[in-house]
Amino acid sequence: MTHQPGATLEHEASQPRARGRVQVSSKLRDGRSVIDGLAMAGSMKALFPRTDTTGLDTMLINTAGGVTGGDRFFIEATAGPGTTLTVTTQAAERAYAARGETAGRIETHLSVARDARLNWLPQETILFEHMNFERSLTVDLDPGARFLMVEPIILGRVAMGERIQDGRFRDRVAIRVGRQAVYLDGVALTGDVDAQMSTASTLNGARAMAALVYVGADAEAWLEPMRRLMPETGGVSLQSPDLLTCRIVAQDGFALRRALVPAIRLLNDDELPRPWML
Amino acid sequence: MRTDAVLTLTQWLSPAFPVGAFTYSHGLEAAFEAGWIKTSADLETWLTDLLTLGSAHADAHFVAAAYHARVPLAEVDRAARAFAPCRERLLEAEAQGRAFCDVVGHVWDADLAGLTYPVALGRAVAIEGLPLELSLTLYLQAFVSNLVSAAQRLGPIGQTEAQRVIRTLSPICEETAREAADGELTHIASSSFLSDIAAMKHETQRSRIFRT
Repeated sequence: MTHQPGATLEHEASQPRARGRVQVSSKLRDGRSVIDGLAMAGSMKALFPRTDTTGLDTMLINTAGGVTGGDRFFIEATAGPGTTLTVTTQAAERAYAARGETAGRIETHLSVARDARLNWLPQETILFEHMNFERSLTVDLDPGARFLMVEPIILGRVAMGERIQDGRFRDRVAIRVGRQAVYLDGVALTGDVDAQMSTASTLNGARAMAALVYVGADAEAWLEPMRRLMPETGGVSLQSPDLLTCRIVAQDGFALRRALVPAIRLLNDDELPRPWML
Repeated sequence: MRTDAVLTLTQWLSPAFPVGAFTYSHGLEAAFEAGWIKTSADLETWLTDLLTLGSAHADAHFVAAAYHARVPLAEVDRAARAFAPCRERLLEAEAQGRAFCDVVGHVWDADLAGLTYPVALGRAVAIEGLPLELSLTLYLQAFVSNLVSAAQRLGPIGQTEAQRVIRTLSPICEETAREAADGELTHIASSSFLSDIAAMKHETQRSRIFRT
């Protein structure tokens, strides 16, 4: 996955690129959420660890080991009527160095039916020096659906002293209820990411950050309990009675997890997907 | 009756225009409280970020998107609301937008109602046939001036230093205006994470003189 020193553009273009696709949906059977449809192709797989709950848990695995220039991954998850579907990842996603102009892309589409709930709880995405990575997450909720999202990002492996002095990252999140946007977010980092993220208004030199969003009729009830969980560099807000948004900045991935795990438990009926266990 | 474009814009974007800009600190009050901003140099860096990669950069795009109206105005406005990172940012956009629509609607006889501030401004600029890039530059300078004036009430920032910050940031206002003029909604991004967190923290700040 790491780039070959001295690799030329033509050489790069001739290298095989990772392609991966997972499509999964849930349905209700005897009061439990079970697999409805499942399709997998290329370097993306889904596992279904057994759980004690009535919900369906799926764990995505990028068998290519990360994303580099020209890679394409596509994830589609649909929580059918009345079901609870939790999607997480087996390992942290890695956006590796990319040579050439073409970005690596992960495109995710989530749909949640009426009276259903989807938890999108991937582990951290780690950005590396010289990455060229684009990501989009589109979420379509039927009225009355519930949705929890946590998206953690880490700038390099802190313990390894990694820096990002050059790279390109594009991230877009769109959450729609009945086709109308209720939450939009966009992050665009280009060039010396470390320098840009060193200032007081950005990350103040911290290396980890997460966005957390909860959509549901009970969102308002979670505002005060969430506020009590916030670290000095975290904030939570209620945009409308059914939309709770939160942003946490932390020194490193471990500190971020320490802040996120109680928040996930709080907003997810005390359930924590196995990969999230500290 | 047509008046000069610059006169119209400076009237709309003057601190005296009744949108109540002076009641909003855009999270600065919480940033001072947390010690994230202490000096005029800190303030200058903070505002530079908002202009180059943060909320002001995003808002300028919404002004331009409303001006071009390549997608229906209601959709631009919905996007502006959905992009607000927290309740107090939404309040700034909604309350100032309401006041702006009201005054410009009556005085300029413009058909404006129910829009967030950047979208209302972009629409008004289009209705009056004013130059977009100049409008964006003056909008951003008004944004900066308002926050510098808020900072003077919040911390030890003298009036001379305050004016120096505004002057230093003026070319950056022009640069952001040029960048944002395409109003491409898919380009809108904001990476001033701790500024957004400051705005969230302000919701529970004990003693406060600003609404945001």
